[in-house]
This record gives sequence, structure tokens and C-alpha cells, in this order.
Amino acid sequence: MISLFRRSLTARTVVATVLLSALALVTLGGFLSYSLANGFYQNRLDQVLSETERAVSSVQGTVSAASVNDETALQTLINAVVPSLEIVGGSGSRQVALLRSPGQAQLQLFESPISQDLDLKTIPDELRVQVRESAGILTYTPVSFFKDGVLVAGITVGAPVVIPLAGNFELFLVFDLSAEQQSLALVQNAITVAGIILLALIALVSYLVTRSVVRPVEQAALAAQTLSAGKLDERLVERGDDVLAQLARSFNKMAASLQQQIQQLDSLSKMQQRFVADVSHELRTPLTTIKLAGEVIFGNREKLDPALSRSAELMQNQIERFESLLADLLEISRYDARAVVADLETQDLNAVVGASIASIEPLAHAKNTEIRIDLPKGPVEAEFDAKRIERLLRNLLSNAVEHGEGRAIIVQVGQNASSVAVCVTDSGVGMSRLQLDRVFDRFWRADPARQRSVGGTGLGLAISKEDATLHRGWLQVWSKPNKGTSFRLTLPRRADSVIGNSPIPLPPRSVQT
Amino acid sequence: MTITVVGNRRRLEGDLIHKVLVVDDDDALREMVGLVLAGAGYEPVFAADGISAVEIFKDRNPDLVLLDIMLPGQSGIEVCKQIRAVSGVPIVMLTARGDTNDVVLGLEAGADDYVVKPHKGEELIARVKARLRPLPDDSLVLQVGGLTLDPKTFEVQREGANLSLTPLEFKLLHTLASKPQQVFSREMLLEQVWGYQYKADTRLVNVHVQRLRSKVEKDPENPKIVMTVRGHGYRAGSETL
Repeated sequence: MISLFRRSLTARTVVATVLLSALALVTLGGFLSYSLANGFYQNRLDQVLSETERAVSSVQGTVSAASVNDETALQTLINAVVPSLEIVGGSGSRQVALLRSPGQAQLQLFESPISQDLDLKTIPDELRVQVRESAGILTYTPVSFFKDGVLVAGITVGAPVVIPLAGNFELFLVFDLSAEQQSLALVQNAITVAGIILLALIALVSYLVTRSVVRPVEQAALAAQTLSAGKLDERLVERGDDVLAQLARSFNKMAASLQQQIQQLDSLSKMQQRFVADVSHELRTPLTTIKLAGEVIFGNREKLDPALSRSAELMQNQIERFESLLADLLEISRYDARAVVADLETQDLNAVVGASIASIEPLAHAKNTEIRIDLPKGPVEAEFDAKRIERLLRNLLSNAVEHGEGRAIIVQVGQNASSVAVCVTDSGVGMSRLQLDRVFDRFWRADPARQRSVGGTGLGLAISKEDATLHRGWLQVWSKPNKGTSFRLTLPRRADSVIGNSPIPLPPRSVQT
Repeated sequence: MTITVVGNRRRLEGDLIHKVLVVDDDDALREMVGLVLAGAGYEPVFAADGISAVEIFKDRNPDLVLLDIMLPGQSGIEVCKQIRAVSGVPIVMLTARGDTNDVVLGLEAGADDYVVKPHKGEELIARVKARLRPLPDDSLVLQVGGLTLDPKTFEVQREGANLSLTPLEFKLLHTLASKPQQVFSREMLLEQVWGYQYKADTRLVNVHVQRLRSKVEKDPENPKIVMTVRGHGYRAGSETL
């Protein structure tokens, strides 16, 4: 529910609109209801007062005008006049009471007429006091009483009456306001129902309006997502001239220019690949001829005089160097063109390490360098391109032999749950910080003045780095001048997994101690 | 000008000198390859483009074709298909691109093997020799999956009817059938059938097994003669189906 609220702009808008409208409606309804109640009451009060006035004057008139001189006749008269003021039943009922004011000297056995079901609590003492002190003006108070078991509102109006022979009396009329109350309740109910219907309408309208605005925005958001996922053909529908249509147009314009630029880059990359392929063909064909011709001459060098024979040797060596340089150049431009795809297969890293060491063995032997191997027992399986990893390791090994000063080279293999690793460590000249920073740069050599026996194209480590990256692996280096250099290759177990940490520390323990 | 080529020129009298058709649009390379072949005791024949290659092939009937992939006229792949349609002659592709689809396309078009430029002369000769090497004289007539394999005539028969296999396909099937109990890894097949001494492209095996199956299997999707052993390689099926 909360997440829906956070996610949906529509839900938020509708809820806010409904809450604010409800507040306004409640205020309005309260005000209406209050004014109506007031109006009803005031109306009835006026009516009640005028009725009472008539009643009082009729009672007063009757008793004043009558010429009665004995109590019995008076009682008869009062009993005739006062109850006639009573209206029994219905919502407009009226009850009456004629009460003798207290504190009068004359002795009276006179019986006050009181409506049968009148609750004397509806005539509070304060009202009686006010009536006695009112000097003839009508006095009233709102009351409530039970009628047929229901509490209803009413008004009690009182006025003093002077009865000859009997003294001062107070005449009270209790009016029933239940009719007004009912009307008011009816109106209030109507207001409430109207309010609820209105609120529902407001909710619906605000939902529809918000929807009509939010929907295109949502579509734009969805389209942007699709676009960023690489589906460059995604477009929005442009309808009308409003701000939403403008949004759609701008979005489409953006998408189109994005698509164009990507296609441009794409075609550039394709051109580059095409170029690499063409160069590859164009250069390799003459190189093949030169190579074959060179071999024939080299194979017959003993038939040539010494200068020619030496020339044939030099040419042969340089053709080979030229060839490996061309191969490396083509390889790195394939990486630049992103035209490289790894040929992944799950296999044993130990086997590849063994093969690369075997191929470097003659060189190591020539440089009088021992290669020590530290392999874990059992296979070290991972998903990788054996050709590339073997080439990478061969390159690390030949670097180690070249810079190792004839001291032993340690090859260590390790594995953990997420990754496998090979570390090639020499105890040779090492490199400074500055040199380390450039070690993977193209055509960079640690020491240009150093005599090169192994040769190498200057692209080896750059390609190795690309090979490692292709596998989503790491190729890292540690080095210290005159201590040695350590290259560590870490590969994920599976091509789609991520390396947690490398199973071999860098620098390896053999160097740390 | 004479160029002296060192090579094995000793040929026994009456021994067949193999004719090799070299198809390459580069004049210098074509001539040079010819010199290397001649030095090794082969008789080179030349074609400079894709169209004439097919004509010269039909005309001269060589024992092996060295075929460049990028050719004017029509591509080496197309030439390969046309030659395969009429002959099982060994075809070795010369390709400048070792790691693109070209290799697979060429193999699927029927080439037996390939050499990546720039190559050494001895490498080229080794490939040619391997493709022209006959089966050992002591090879036996074998039965596999209702097929009869005759190593003398390179004929494969099913219920008396001939199936036309190329010599390479025959050699592949014969090698598998010679040890029906044994599982051959791709590397073993590369060594025994293709004659590689070192690690080579296992796609050679995969593509040729597919081609072989399409010719000998009744249902290539569900092979009964050349069976795959998952993770290891291939082995021959039983003698009868």
C-alpha cells in the first residue's frame, strides 16, 4: 500500500485531492447545518412567542373580565380556560402549566391546572424567578424532555398572570420542537449524502484528469527505459500541441539523434574492422611470399658466400620479428574495434599453465633460469579461452625470463570459490613506481637502453591486459627495484560471474617474507 | 634466372607425381608457393581467379587444391562448393584471417583443412602431404552401422549401393570404425586423421563430423554410426544397425 503510494503519482494526487476536498466539504456542511439550525430555531421562536402572547392575554383577559366571587367558580373558570391552551399529540404539541408564585400571604386551596404528561423539569426554577421578575415581558428558555421515550428539544415560555381572589400566578407553555429537529436532521442527512457523492465525483474526476496527464509521462518513462536498454527504435506517439505532445516530440527527437550517433559510431567501428581485415589480407599476402622466399634462401645459405649467407640469416630473423609485430598489431586493433570474441570453455588452468611453461622452457634453459611451479592438487577449473590465456602466460613467462637476471621464477596457481589465479614472480631487476604506471602501455619498454635478446613487440602486455579484461578478469602487477616483479592473473570461475577476491596475495608470500 | 630449390626430388620411377592446383590472385605468392611445392616434389598448376579455377580444375584434374579464400571473380568458398559438387579431391584453404567465420564457412563448403597466412613452407608442405597420404597398406575392410568400408578403393557401400565420401571423410570414418570400443577425442582425431602433431583447431573435427553424418546417417539428428560422447569426443556405432 505504501509502496503503491510512493510509486504511483496518480494515487498520490487522487488521495491528496480527496482529502482536501473532504476538508472543504466538512467545513461547508458544518456551516450550512449551523445556519439552518439557527434559522429554524429563530423562526419557531418567533412563532412560539407570538402564540404565547396570545395565550397569556386570552387567559389574563378571561380571568380579569369574569365576575366570579367564589373560589369554586374561579376554579371552574381556570379549569376551562387553561387546558384549552393545550395542544395534544403531533409534532407541534404544546403543554401548559399555571403555577402559583410562591411567597403569597393569601391562603389558597386553589388547584393549579397542569398538562397531564408535563415533566416539571422543563420548567426550571431559574425561569420561574425570571418570570416573576419580568414585569410582564415573555421569558423563555430552551429545554429538552422525553416524549414517547425519545429526547426532544423544546422551548418553555413563561409569563406572570394575576388572578383575582387567587393572587399571582405564572403561566408556562412548553412547546415541542421535534418537527424542526426532524427537518434539520433531514437537511443534515441530505447535506452528508450530497457531500459523499460529491467527494466520490471529485475522486473520479481527479483520477481521470491525473491519469490523462500521468499516462503520457509514464509512457515516456517506459520508452526511455526501453531506449536505454538498447532498443533504439522506441518512439512515443505525438498527438496534439500541448505540453505532453511537446514532451513526446522532444523525446523522439532525442531518441533519433541518439540513434543516429550510435549508428554513426557503429558504422565507424565496422569501417575500422573492415580496415583491419583488409590490412590483414593486404599485408599478409606479400609477407607470406617474402617469408617463403626467405626460407628458400635461408635453406640454401651454405651455398652462398659468407656476407650473403649472414644477410640471409639476418633477413630470416627480421622476417619473423616483422611477422610477430604484424600479428600483435592486428590483434590489438581487433581489440580496439571490439571485434574480439572469447572462445570460452570450462577447462583446467593447471594444464594451460603447464603448456605455456613447456613452450618457454627452451628460452629459460638458454638463459639458465629455473622455473619453480607451485600448483594445487587436483584440477583448477574455470571457463576461459585457452589459446588467449596460454598466450598471456607465455608472455608473462618470457618477460620474467628476460628481466629475471637468471634467478629462479616462481609460478603459482591458486583457486577459491569465485575465481582462479596464476602468479608469475621473478627476482630480477624490478621496476620503479613510475615504470609500473606505464607497464601496460603500448610500445613501452622498461629500459630502452637495455639490450633485448628476447625481442618482443612492445605490445605483449597491452594485449595481455586486453585478454584479461575480455575474460572479465584482472591482470595486476607488483614490483620493487632490485627485488623482482610479480604479475598476477585472476579469472572468474565462470564468464558471467564476478571475482570476489584473488586466491593469491600480491605480492605473493614468497616475496613478502 | 634460375632459382635453386632444395627439396626431395627423388622420385621412384613410375611413382605418381602429385599435381597440386594453386589458386591465388597474388602473382608473386602463387609463383612462390609453386616453387615451394616443386621443391617438395609436387607438380604445381595455377589459377588466378575464382572462375578459371573451376575450369582449370576440370581440365587438369589435380590431386589437391590449395585455395585462397579472397579471390576475384568468385570467392574461394564458392569455388570450393563447385569443386566439391563434382569431386572429393582434398582442398586446403589458404586464409589471411585465422579467427573469423571464413574458416568455418570454408570447412562447411567442403574444404578439408586450412593454413593461415603467413605460413612457413614446411607447414604448407606438411598439410599437403597429410592430405595426400594414403591409408596404411594393412588397413582392413571394416563394417560399421551396416556400411562396408574398403580402404583399397575408398568405397563405402550400404546394401550394395555406393555412398560418395571424400578421402578425408573416409579416413575419419575408417579411423573411428577401426577401434569401435574406443572413444576418440578431437585432438586424437586431429592427429590421426589430419596429421597434426601439435594442437590444432577442433572446429575441423566438428564440421567434418557433421558433414560425414549428413552422408552416412539415416537420421543425422539422431546418429547411430558416428556417436558423440559428451565431453570426450566421438566413437563408432555398432557394426550393424
